[in-house]
Amino acid sequence: MTDLSPMPILYTPTIIANQLVANIVADQNQQAALETQISTGNRVNVPSDDPAQAANILQLQSGLARAQQYASNASDGLGWLSLGTSTLNQVLAALQQARQTVLSVSSATLTGQPAALQGLATQIDGVRQELVQLSNTLYGGQAIFAGTGNVSQAYAADGTYLGGGSAPTRTVAPGVQVPIAVTGPAVFGTGASGLLGDSPGNVGVLAQISADLRTGTSASLQQVMTTDLANLDSAISQVESQAAVLGANYQRMQAFSQQATDAQQALQTELSGVQSTDMPLAITQLTQAQNSYQAALWAASRVTQDSLVQFLG
Amino acid sequence: MGDLALNIAATGIAVQQVGMDTVAQNLANANTPGYVRESPDIVTNPGGDAAGIGDGARVATITQAGNALLFTNVQQTQAALSQSTALQQVLSGVQAAFPEPSQSGLAAQLAGFWQAWDAIAQNPSALAPRTEVVDLAQNLATSFNQAATALTNLQDNAATQLSQTVSQANTLLSEIAQLNVQVTATEGAGAPAGALIDQRNTLVQQLAQATGAVARPMPDGTVTVAVGGITLVQGSFADTLQVTGNAGATEVRATTSGVALPASGGTVAGLLAAVNQYLPAYQAQLDTAANALASTVNGQLALGYTAAGTSGASLPLFIGTGAAGLAVNPQLVADPQQIAASATATLPDATNDGANAQAMAELSNSVTGPDQAYRSLIQGMGAQLQAVNNQVQAQTSVANAAQQNLQAAAGVSPDQEMVAMLAYQQAYEASAKVVSAAQAAVQALLAAT
Repeated sequence: MTDLSPMPILYTPTIIANQLVANIVADQNQQAALETQISTGNRVNVPSDDPAQAANILQLQSGLARAQQYASNASDGLGWLSLGTSTLNQVLAALQQARQTVLSVSSATLTGQPAALQGLATQIDGVRQELVQLSNTLYGGQAIFAGTGNVSQAYAADGTYLGGGSAPTRTVAPGVQVPIAVTGPAVFGTGASGLLGDSPGNVGVLAQISADLRTGTSASLQQVMTTDLANLDSAISQVESQAAVLGANYQRMQAFSQQATDAQQALQTELSGVQSTDMPLAITQLTQAQNSYQAALWAASRVTQDSLVQFLG
Repeated sequence: MGDLALNIAATGIAVQQVGMDTVAQNLANANTPGYVRESPDIVTNPGGDAAGIGDGARVATITQAGNALLFTNVQQTQAALSQSTALQQVLSGVQAAFPEPSQSGLAAQLAGFWQAWDAIAQNPSALAPRTEVVDLAQNLATSFNQAATALTNLQDNAATQLSQTVSQANTLLSEIAQLNVQVTATEGAGAPAGALIDQRNTLVQQLAQATGAVARPMPDGTVTVAVGGITLVQGSFADTLQVTGNAGATEVRATTSGVALPASGGTVAGLLAAVNQYLPAYQAQLDTAANALASTVNGQLALGYTAAGTSGASLPLFIGTGAAGLAVNPQLVADPQQIAASATATLPDATNDGANAQAMAELSNSVTGPDQAYRSLIQGMGAQLQAVNNQVQAQTSVANAAQQNLQAAAGVSPDQEMVAMLAYQQAYEASAKVVSAAQAAVQALLAAT
């Protein structure tokens, strides 16, 4: 460190000593600052090091925490959506099985065959029970088809919808909320055209098929093959459309998850750039400061050694 | 002729002797703080005889090498440096109270707090994430309380230091007045008052560092000391200073005139700026951040409902105002399920709804939120401390230069003293030679007769 003070006319030993002390202190301060930078790895250790960058770092850290949370939200949402999709696939498989059963019904062969009809009706009942069970699928203890209205159960055994509200969402980017489920009524329908039914008057499509099979008359079997089958087909297409909604949301969620991860990396890189010590520069500067310090110490050890006193006999 | 030569040589010996004495005195005090180099003021004795040879030399007076302008310059630069140093110490204390940027400071705590709301949104009916939000809120409130306490402590410490500095300045003022009296008395008796003047200069410099006082030498040998034009010492009179007013409006007044001292450097000016200006501003900014936290969080909660459909308007998370008063609502601590995380009041829709908590998490970027207010506090404080640090560095350099200029004029250089000593020594020896030559001449004359 060079002292920029103007040169006095006459150097007394006190002046020289004071200057040396000032220079040694300045060198020590610079060394201490550089050592802090190197040992912490951070260029900005206190706000006064660089006030604007300190505020910038705080903002980047806050942004980084938010991006991490977006990634966590997206990962949670992906869990919900993937469970929802696989559940709806199981629902569709069960419904296809029910459809096969209905297609196998022939008025000519089955009229007056109560035992066979009973067997078919039992199969349909089984499918309905499976659907009730699937409708109550839980993710982390939360019923995924219950909307926000109920925690643990979407449908009662008799097909009554216990949930409410709309499908929950996850925040995955600033101001962007992606639904992570579909509600029970959207998948399974409601009332008489619903798969599960909701009251003794509206028993639902599957229970209607089962009842018509049990009735066993030619007219009721005809009913199964026409109206009931049509109702079943429209219910299946409704489930398929909801499965498509889940699939689309899954893709969106994946895209946002990737985006949040990318944002995290970008923010981290920016933060490192702002915050991290430029090691080669800092170490070079430290070496210079040390050299300068040693030189100042050496000069201090030489001060007042040479004076006219020595040369006078 | 013999008489005259002997007389002249005798005055020469005496004068050179005084010169060597001053060299000895200067060298003895080479490292004495405040010492001003002396030198004999040698004049010719006018001769009374017809030939007009003269009557040797004498020492008219011993002069001090001081330079009033350089000395005033030292006082002023020291006063400016002390002012910045005092402020720097207080601001460094403020910075230490806000450990940023870090993983544990208020900014990081705020970030963690906002993220915890999304955890509620992920599982609105679970107790654990709600308890976590309450815990983090309590940590935040405690951190704000601690920061406010730290600022209050700094304020108290600065006020204490101010009264100590003022009482120290009062002692210096009365000592300077006493020395004024002694210098006048000593010089009146015809004796040199150099030692007393050196001592007074040292005190004046200490007073300059404390209060920014400037001393003006008077023809009668006294100094008149004033701060910003207000006279505090004149001759034997010394005024006293006193601290008046409360935090934020503290003043230092001269007791006799009752006038408040203008800020004109010195530790007092630095401390007054800290007590009246900087610390209250930081406290206010911290309060703004704490109030922004409470209003942002409580405002969003007021838009929501609990799982039972109760409005959050009467269920704030934060209560109390200001950083010192911020606390968490004990009702929510006792039952975190009362946090209004739902966006709907309708049942059963509200049972497992976390939409309001989701909206809360998004407020971390709010421009009116606490994060922004806190960041601007940190940036402002950092910038002010950085400026003061730079000032201290520059003023240290300036003060050193002024000190060195004064040293160059008033300090002792052994080399210079050695040269002076050689001159005195040679003249002394030569005068002694004249005495012995005169004696030899007289003896030769006696032997011849």
